[in-house]
Amino acid sequence: MSRNSSVLLKYADKIAPTSVSEYVSVGGFSGIKQAISMDKEAIIEEILRANLRGRGGAAYPAGRKWKSLYHIDGAPKYIVCNADEGEPGTFKDRELLKKVPLSVIEGMLIAGYVFDSPMGYIYIRGEYRHIQKVFEQALKEAREAGYLGKNILGIEGFDYDITIVSGGGAYVCGENSALLNSIEGKAGRPRIKPPHLAEVGLYQKPTLVNNVESFACIPVILSEGSESFLNYGTPEGGGTKLVSISGHSKNRGVFEVNLGIPLRELIMGKDYGNGIVDGTLNFFHIGGQSGPIGFPEQLDTLYSYEALKEVGLSIGSGALVVLNDKVCLVEYIQKVFEFFVHESCGKCTPCRIGTTRILELLTDFIEGRAKEGDVEKLEYLSQQVSALSACGLGQSVNVALNSCLKHRRKEFEAHITNHGCPLCGDQNE
Amino acid sequence: MDIKNHLTTEEIHAIIQENGGDTEHLLQILHELQNASGLNYIDQETASIVAKEVGLPETRLHDIITFYAMLKTKPKAKFVLKVCNSTPCHFSHSKKVIDMLEAELGVKIGETTKDGLFAYHYIPCVGACDIGPVIKIKDTVYGNLNQQVIHQLLEDLRAGKRDQ
Repeated sequence: MSRNSSVLLKYADKIAPTSVSEYVSVGGFSGIKQAISMDKEAIIEEILRANLRGRGGAAYPAGRKWKSLYHIDGAPKYIVCNADEGEPGTFKDRELLKKVPLSVIEGMLIAGYVFDSPMGYIYIRGEYRHIQKVFEQALKEAREAGYLGKNILGIEGFDYDITIVSGGGAYVCGENSALLNSIEGKAGRPRIKPPHLAEVGLYQKPTLVNNVESFACIPVILSEGSESFLNYGTPEGGGTKLVSISGHSKNRGVFEVNLGIPLRELIMGKDYGNGIVDGTLNFFHIGGQSGPIGFPEQLDTLYSYEALKEVGLSIGSGALVVLNDKVCLVEYIQKVFEFFVHESCGKCTPCRIGTTRILELLTDFIEGRAKEGDVEKLEYLSQQVSALSACGLGQSVNVALNSCLKHRRKEFEAHITNHGCPLCGDQNE
Repeated sequence: MDIKNHLTTEEIHAIIQENGGDTEHLLQILHELQNASGLNYIDQETASIVAKEVGLPETRLHDIITFYAMLKTKPKAKFVLKVCNSTPCHFSHSKKVIDMLEAELGVKIGETTKDGLFAYHYIPCVGACDIGPVIKIKDTVYGNLNQQVIHQLLEDLRAGKRDQ
């Protein structure tokens, strides 16, 4: 099996990103053409067979999401693309939006067709405002070529358009219900669920929310077929995956790989991360800030949904932040919590106050004030925050910490006995 | 250098209309107003015009402006240099960038230089982890920084050579 099929980024940097004619010349818009020749339920069956797992982080099967929305009554149904890529260490959607925006548009168009939707929204994070301009141009050219607007592809009544909505610098808006509130012109705080967004979504209407990369996979599934898509990956998750490698890797960047590639190759292989700068591999943070920490002894795991899950890791957003042996694990976790404290929206008390208390406690570890019992206190606090918060942000703050306590508890305990550690502090900043 | 502090009412109205003029485009409108404001913030007068134009209560607009981290309610500087300190950038030595800015500009993090030209502070991830550490100014990200690159960037900004 090939390990680096170029599918989603095959034409990145090879065609003018916003040119419809160039996109069509390399097979673009053949997915929607295939779709309109099919029964709508057959399209959903195809996506189910392809086993496309959501690429935003939760890995929920996209086909199942589409199927449940399809069977929900109510109109209009809205299509929303979550391009609020905000997980630190994640910058793969940026590449799709900037280099092959028409493939994202085509995915959203197919969804528009399946759900008879009048309108799609793409919520692009405020930090990507320069990319919003590229995407706007791609929408304009798609409109001019008749792929958006009225009677698309000559089909009477196939009217659909896409609007860009800008984010404003709030990580929590990556949570789908918060994102919908933000589109509606509200502060982007998450909603209490249920009801699910498929039933009560944007403007209280049934809504599909998928990630950028998920939408970009849809035309591939339809033009190449579900079997071909599935073959790029593993039985538990078809397709290729865009991986963002950063931190102390020799090669930092976005790499498209077949799901199932060994983790070791991804981090050490010369075609990918190419090893570690200035030292040896200490640990890696996989899937985003809300993902687990992995260690060198786990490098023989395959990068697939099922294999990673078995060892307590996960693909998440596709982030892979690699750290060398000059970094203290406890200090790294402290920085992760600094992020959560900054980004907690404040709606749930356990998340708002709990993350702050955990950060204070981690700072005690680093500054040598931690005492007997504080490791247990850390564990207890993070469990409480994750159990008592309403949205994915609060619920997952304990993931990275838990994986560290499972595999490197001694490093935390050593900070108590030694009143800190020699790696902590300014020398590695 | 003369820093234009306030937009005229006509300019504010024009920006609102050019950028959609409704609640779905609210953040876009606010970004544009902040970028055009001279000192990178949204004053109360501007906010109340926006509220009226898009049809929201002023308190709701205040909730929005204070919720989203990229929007500011206090004047900053002509050039606000934002340094990412999320984990990938932090451990790629973003603190050194802060130290260099302090040495170059002579003011501490969060402060504005006397001439009103520069301020700098930390922000969370901007999605440029592959070129960290980074400085972001308005919509432009500058990566792979070192002392020389930073010095040149500041010189260029002072001389009006960078399109901001």
